[in-house]
Amino acid sequence: MARDPILEVEDIEKAFGGIRAVDKCSLTVLPQSITGLIGPNGAGKSTLFNIIAGLYRPDGGEIRLDGGRIDGLPPYEIVTRGLTKTWQIPHELRNLTVLENVVLAAKGNSGEHLLNLFFRPRQVKRDEQRWRARAREVLKLTQLDKLADEHAVTLSGGQKKLLELSRALMSDPAIVLLDEPVAGVNPALAGSLMDLIETLRREGKTFFLIEHDMNVIMNRCDRVIVMHQGRKLAEGPPQTVKTDPVVIDSYLGG
Amino acid sequence: MAATPGRSRPAQTSSAQGIAIAIIFVIAITPAIVGQIVLPSGVIKPLSTQGLPGTLINIGFYISISIIFAILALGFNLQWGYTGLFNAGVAGFYLIGAYVAAFAITAPSPPIVIANVVVYPGHLGGYSLPFVAGAILAMIASGGTAAVLALPALRLRADYLAIATLAFAVILQIFARNLTSLTGGAIGVVLIPKPIELQPPSAFFNTMTIIGIGAAVLLFLLLLLQFISESPWGRVLRAVREDEEATMALGKNTFRYKLQAFALGGAVMGLAGALYASTVGYVQESYFAPAVTFSVWVMVIVGGSGNNRGVIIGAFLIYGLEWFSVQMKDYFTDFGDQIFYVRLMVVGALLILLILFRPEGILRETKRVLR
Repeated sequence: MARDPILEVEDIEKAFGGIRAVDKCSLTVLPQSITGLIGPNGAGKSTLFNIIAGLYRPDGGEIRLDGGRIDGLPPYEIVTRGLTKTWQIPHELRNLTVLENVVLAAKGNSGEHLLNLFFRPRQVKRDEQRWRARAREVLKLTQLDKLADEHAVTLSGGQKKLLELSRALMSDPAIVLLDEPVAGVNPALAGSLMDLIETLRREGKTFFLIEHDMNVIMNRCDRVIVMHQGRKLAEGPPQTVKTDPVVIDSYLGG
Repeated sequence: MAATPGRSRPAQTSSAQGIAIAIIFVIAITPAIVGQIVLPSGVIKPLSTQGLPGTLINIGFYISISIIFAILALGFNLQWGYTGLFNAGVAGFYLIGAYVAAFAITAPSPPIVIANVVVYPGHLGGYSLPFVAGAILAMIASGGTAAVLALPALRLRADYLAIATLAFAVILQIFARNLTSLTGGAIGVVLIPKPIELQPPSAFFNTMTIIGIGAAVLLFLLLLLQFISESPWGRVLRAVREDEEATMALGKNTFRYKLQAFALGGAVMGLAGALYASTVGYVQESYFAPAVTFSVWVMVIVGGSGNNRGVIIGAFLIYGLEWFSVQMKDYFTDFGDQIFYVRLMVVGALLILLILFRPEGILRETKRVLR
C-alpha cells in the first residue's frame, strides 16, 4: 500500500450554527479502492461528502485530489478535475428524460456553449451525437436503457439511484463519491449494482461510499472508515473494523 | 415552482401540435373579428376612421400590439420557462427598450416654454436614427441592464429575485416620471416616427408596415430562440430550472447560464419596447406599470411555459381579451367602465380553470426524445 492516496482530507471543519458537523476530520482514500464510510446518523458523513464535492465551503482544512487542492473550488470545477458525487436523496432533473439527464453529465460538450452553436455547428453536432451514443452505453450498463426516453420524474426510487450512478459514470470520473447507493434498492438490483462498481474499480476507478448496508460494507469494501461526531474514529479492513470495540460501541452496537 | 405544479406531460406529435396551433390562432384573432363585424360598426370605433380601411387599422392595432406582447412573452419564456428565473421586472426592461429607441429615432425635441410655463420639458437624444439602429440600441440597453442587474440579483433565491426585479422595474418607472428633462416626464416622448413613413402619412400603410415588420421580427425571434433553446445549451437551462444544485454537481457553471438567459431575455424585451415606441408613436411612463409584467406572466402560463410557440398564442389570446374589452366598453356606453373589471374576472377565471385542468398551458412543453 505504498501508493499515494487519490483523495486526502486534512483537518476539515464545518459548523452549522452551534453544531460542529465536521470537526477536524482527516482521512485518505487510495486509488482503485472501494472505500466505505460508516458511522451513526449525524456523524457528518454526508456533510463531508458535500464539502469534498464543493457544495459546502469548509470552515477550515484542506482537501487534495491527486495532490492538487480542491477545497474552495466550485462544484463544477471539481467535477472537471475528476471527482463526482451522487446524492443520497436522488436529484434527478424531473422533466428531462433519463437520456437527457445522462447526456448532461458529459464533460466538454461543445454545444453547451452558446457561441459554438453559431460558429462551430459541425463540432456541436458531432459532439452531441457522440455523447448521446455514450449515454446509451452507460444506460445499458445500469440497465436503464429501456427507460431512456421517459421523464426522470416517472422513475421509481431504486431506478433514480441507478440514474444517479449513470450520471456519475457519464462524467468519466477518477473517483466517485456514492452517498448510500443501494438504500431503497431491491437486493437483486443492489447486488448487480455493486458488481458493476467492482467491475469499474478493476478498470481503474475509485469509489468512496457511504452505506448503512453492512453486507455491502463487509463484502464489497477493501477499507472502511468510521466517522463519529464529525471525526474519524477508526479505519481498516472491514473485518478489523467490525471487531473494533470502539466501533461496536458507537455504531454497530453489541 | 408555483406556476408549474406537477409538470408531467406525455409525448405529443407535431401534427397534433400543428392543428392545436391553427385552432388556437383562430380563437385568438376571433375577438378582433367579432369586435369589428358582429357589433354594429357605427357604434364602436375608438381607433378606426371609417369603412374597411378603418376596420383593418383597428384589427391591425390588435395584431401589432399582440406581436409586441408575444415578443415580451418569448423573452420571459427564456428566463422563466426554460431557466426558472422569476423575473418580476419585465415592465422595466420593456421601458428601457421603449425609451432608448424613442431617444434614438425621434427628431431633436427641445423644451417648449410658452410665457414662462414649461409646456414640454424635452427629452434625451433626438438623433433621428433609423428604426433598426433604435431597435439595436434598445436591445443593447435592456440586455446590458439585465446583465448588470443579474450579477447581484441572480445570486438570490427565486422569491428574492422576484422582489429585486419588481423593485427595479418600479424604480425605473418612478425615474421615468420624475427625471423630467431627460424623459419628458409624465408627457413622455412623443412624435416617434414609424419605421417607414409615407408622404403624405397614411394610417393604413403605417399599420400594415408595422404588422409586417413585427411579424418578421417575431418569426425571426421564434426561429432563433427555438434554435438556441432546443440546443445542448438550452438543455442546461432546463436542467438549472429543475435543480440548480444538481446541475452544478454535473459540472455546469450554472451562474453563467443564468446570466446568459437573463441578459438575452432582457434584450428581447428591449426589442419589444422599441417596436412599441414606434407602433404607438409615443412612450409614457404610466404604461410601464407592474401590470404589464403580470400580463406577460399570464400569457406565458396560459400559452405554455417552456413552449415558445405556446407563449405566442398566449399573448394573442390574453391581449385579445383586453382589446375586446376596450371594444365592448364603447359598445355598452351605459356601463362601459365596468367592462374593464369584467375582463379581469374573465382572465382570473380562465387562469383558475387552466391551473386546475391544464396546468402546463395550451401547448405543453414538448418531451425531448433524443435520437
